[in-house]
Amino acid sequence: MKPFILFILSFFLFACDSREVVQIKVDIPAGVQVPEEMVYIPAGDFIMGHEEEPRTQLGKTISSKAYLIDRFEVSRERYKNFQPQYTFSPKSALYPVTHVSYAEALDYCKAHDKRLPTEVEWEKAARGTDGRKWPWRIFVAHPNNGFSGFMSEPVDKRKEWISPYGVYGMGHNVWEWIGEDYTYAEQPDSESGKFKVIRGGLLQTHITIKFSPAWFRNWMEPETKLNFIGIRCAKDVS
Amino acid sequence: MSNDNKKPDVEEEKSAAFNFVRRDFLKLISFAGLSSLLPGRASAKDDFRNDKNIPKQYIQNRDTPGFHIRSANPFMGVDMGSWGLAVGGMVKKPIGLGYEDLFGFKMVSQVSRLKCVECWSAKAEWEGFEFSELIKKVQPDPAAKYVYIQSADSYYESFAVEELLRPRVLFVLRMNGKSLSKDHGYPLRLIAPFKYGYKNIKYITSIKFLDTRKRNYWSNSGPYSVDGTIQPGIDHPLDFNKKPLPINGGEVFHFFDR
Repeated sequence: MKPFILFILSFFLFACDSREVVQIKVDIPAGVQVPEEMVYIPAGDFIMGHEEEPRTQLGKTISSKAYLIDRFEVSRERYKNFQPQYTFSPKSALYPVTHVSYAEALDYCKAHDKRLPTEVEWEKAARGTDGRKWPWRIFVAHPNNGFSGFMSEPVDKRKEWISPYGVYGMGHNVWEWIGEDYTYAEQPDSESGKFKVIRGGLLQTHITIKFSPAWFRNWMEPETKLNFIGIRCAKDVS
Repeated sequence: MSNDNKKPDVEEEKSAAFNFVRRDFLKLISFAGLSSLLPGRASAKDDFRNDKNIPKQYIQNRDTPGFHIRSANPFMGVDMGSWGLAVGGMVKKPIGLGYEDLFGFKMVSQVSRLKCVECWSAKAEWEGFEFSELIKKVQPDPAAKYVYIQSADSYYESFAVEELLRPRVLFVLRMNGKSLSKDHGYPLRLIAPFKYGYKNIKYITSIKFLDTRKRNYWSNSGPYSVDGTIQPGIDHPLDFNKKPLPINGGEVFHFFDR
């Protein structure tokens, strides 16, 4: 009897400890070509923003067309293929490229017949359709908590933190340029057109590190190049 | 502006997993180091010392209203009789500059916020010269991608040359229309507004050009990064009663700054 009870207990233990993010089943229409490094996001509704965040869509249901988005943030080795004078340590080849401006991010995407994502596209790819706060749904503490400073990780690390559409790096690793101006209700004229949206990185207060919620909108001057901003591209479905 | 050179791997090293905050560490070492010099307990009512045991004539941590003072190694200040700025390392023409020499560089003025990693920020008008002025004089080797900066109180910092050449980075001589005070880094300090305060080294005595990056004081003393770029998060500006405001990362501008 005891071994049987232990077996049942261990079953639940491992089931509860599963770090796999349940994936939304997506049927790719016939004839749609999905590049190997991209993810197909189907058309349909999703919940965008949060009612307590005035600069968001406040939790409204928003509809999107189908589109494609990069599964991973652009890595240093991929960026070097585009920009041969870019250098990095070989052991960091899979880390996200950083210190790229909005224009450089856009140029990279255009060179690959892609573009930067819109906010709708980014948030739906991060959040899925159930309005979750974290792309991976269940909150965890960041393992680097207790350290002040940003340390990026390989773009294909953290399968336990992928979105319900299988997109990596939403809400951690680098922030990513979005192809839209940062606007909000009652924005002063002095700010109009001044910033682009960046999404999906970490928030730091002294030695506390936090993930940014899937609806969180950050802003940045487009010529800025810093150690926490990288690239993710999107593409229309042909 | 910046090039696409890789950031050194040292930025991706994790320092020892210390589980205490920086302010506690400063208090600990300052008390242990200087309590023996105590001549007698002076009143700390008006001098805002964080550690009442450090004699008040020392430059030390003070929560001075309007602009807090942070000093990792309390000391009496720079002896201007023996101070000079040495600029050398991998350069064609190493130089030593006196205080008056620095005023021969083109002066640039700006208002910018200094954001401490401990959460507060304060704003001032800074006047100084750009790093390019020193580069013109010493002509660094193209392989010298980094600098190591030392100060009179045994503090030290490390930068990529590219970072010091960014807009709004100044080697500062004057603050709010006057010479830097002792507390704020007299005779010379760095202001790099997109980096946390601990990167903004004070009482500078030497700048050395290198081809490898050294670590800095706080990455060797606590859980702090060499890079020190201000991350998105929260600020508590002293000129906003320390009320929390979101910041987007990099140089801090609040709605009332623009």
